[in-house]
Amino acid sequence: MYQYLRNNYTLLLLSSPSIVILFSLSIIPLILILVWSFWTWDPITYWIKPILTLNSYFDIFSTGRIEVLIRTLVLSFIASTTCLIIGFPAAYCIHFIIKGRLSIILLMLFTIPFLTSHLIRTFSWRLILGRTGLINNLLMSNNLVDEPIEWLLFSDFAVGVGLIASYLPFVIFPLLLSFRKVDENYLRASSDLGANLFRTIYSVVIPLSMPGLFAGYMFVFAMCMGSSTEVQLLGGAAASMLTIMINDVMRVVNFPLAFSISTFSIIVLFILLIIGNRFFKFDSLFKDFSW
Amino acid sequence: MNSRFFFYFCLILCLSIVYLPPIYLLLISFNENIQPGIPSLGDLSLKWYFKMLSQKRLITSLNQSIKVASITCIISSVVAFFSALAYLEYRNFRSKWFLFIIFSMFVPGVIQGLSLSVIFKIVEIKPSAMTIVGGHLLWTLPFAFTIILTNLSNINKNIILASRDLGANYLITLRKIVIPLIFPGIISSFIFSFLLSFNEYNRAVYLVGRYNTFPIYMFGSMNAGTSPTVYAMGGSTLILSFVAIFFIIYLTKKKNK
Repeated sequence: MYQYLRNNYTLLLLSSPSIVILFSLSIIPLILILVWSFWTWDPITYWIKPILTLNSYFDIFSTGRIEVLIRTLVLSFIASTTCLIIGFPAAYCIHFIIKGRLSIILLMLFTIPFLTSHLIRTFSWRLILGRTGLINNLLMSNNLVDEPIEWLLFSDFAVGVGLIASYLPFVIFPLLLSFRKVDENYLRASSDLGANLFRTIYSVVIPLSMPGLFAGYMFVFAMCMGSSTEVQLLGGAAASMLTIMINDVMRVVNFPLAFSISTFSIIVLFILLIIGNRFFKFDSLFKDFSW
Repeated sequence: MNSRFFFYFCLILCLSIVYLPPIYLLLISFNENIQPGIPSLGDLSLKWYFKMLSQKRLITSLNQSIKVASITCIISSVVAFFSALAYLEYRNFRSKWFLFIIFSMFVPGVIQGLSLSVIFKIVEIKPSAMTIVGGHLLWTLPFAFTIILTNLSNINKNIILASRDLGANYLITLRKIVIPLIFPGIISSFIFSFLLSFNEYNRAVYLVGRYNTFPIYMFGSMNAGTSPTVYAMGGSTLILSFVAIFFIIYLTKKKNK
């Protein structure tokens, strides 16, 4: 392919709006947060002063906050893995088994959740999982249980379900995008050579759709790590997550601690993003887009 | 085929996880009774919807959200259009540019909102609709970028080549060829960004000024108690989203004809 533009000024002009916006609103604030997390909290001004210290990082370890961080990572890991385990077969089904019109309709159906309120979708689980919710009602009316199951709502289980329901479309969509690049002749060749469906998926489909698979997984993981509404609406009384912790710390205006927790999570995500991109090349999802 | 059963099972599982709860909520929102439950035909009413509209703070928050979402969707679509054009012109820098644009999608919303609010405080920008727009842009821009990029890359390359051969410069090609061709894509990007911004909760928490946005107001009433107006709020936003989505589908269909 060729480039249309011969001069670089136009290219610069085209790139500058997003450079300005992303630098001023995202990158510079995040870098400042990273720097400020090493400053000292000043109890007089309720702000920070430029004395370098690692106190806020020690605070993370000393006050049991590290447990919340690990809990968040574990919960995010479980939720995003579950999303992938049920999302991959669903995406496979939409793209390779169902074809034509129905496949497009299903694709649309998985786009719609992006556009509906995440808050409402989470909240509506209360009606399903609650004491008098749909599931308990069904179980009770069929005499499967004598009294409502309590652990369904306001528990880690509910948070997990909420996370999976919220972010499932985010894993299906990139997968569908990368399945488009899988040549179906490979699948036929694989089955001609005697591989069954699962073998074909394992040795042909998964390697070829790795960028989308990784992008989806990574995205869901990041979203789970940053989720707060699921825990607030569905979690138990003592449930905490990274974002809740930041909110709590901000309530007592302890800026350095809030900043260090933020820095920690951004660094975790950034490392995952860089390593993942190196191995799975998920930026190649759009590589053949050109004029 | 037994193995296929597993795939269909997963598909149906995914669909029901995603759709069952909101649809259940939508049904409940039409129930006249206080106790949540699927309404029988006789109980169908819009009572809670009317009750919802009589709450004054809800209306102000709704106005605020519509204002924020309108500004956000315009800025993010225009910026995304430029960035997508830039993407197509870059060569070796391409994957870095892509990562740069979508990077903010991966940063947890609360952290983004917090960091922005601190910056705004330092440079003494008062919280207002515009500060919320700042936060929401970071969320909508990657989506708008992806939509417009997909649309741009679907243009038949030969048309662009022909336009150049006929002596059109870049600007004329954009105006006469590219923009008309991807117009439905730009509209979808508008709608997509509008809805993403309208429904965004996390990024706005630290940035709101005097007026709450609708999701923040809604979150408050979700935690406050169980007045069924919450179901009506949920129901109406769901309906709004569905209408907008069918509009997008209609546009894409029209384009394909």
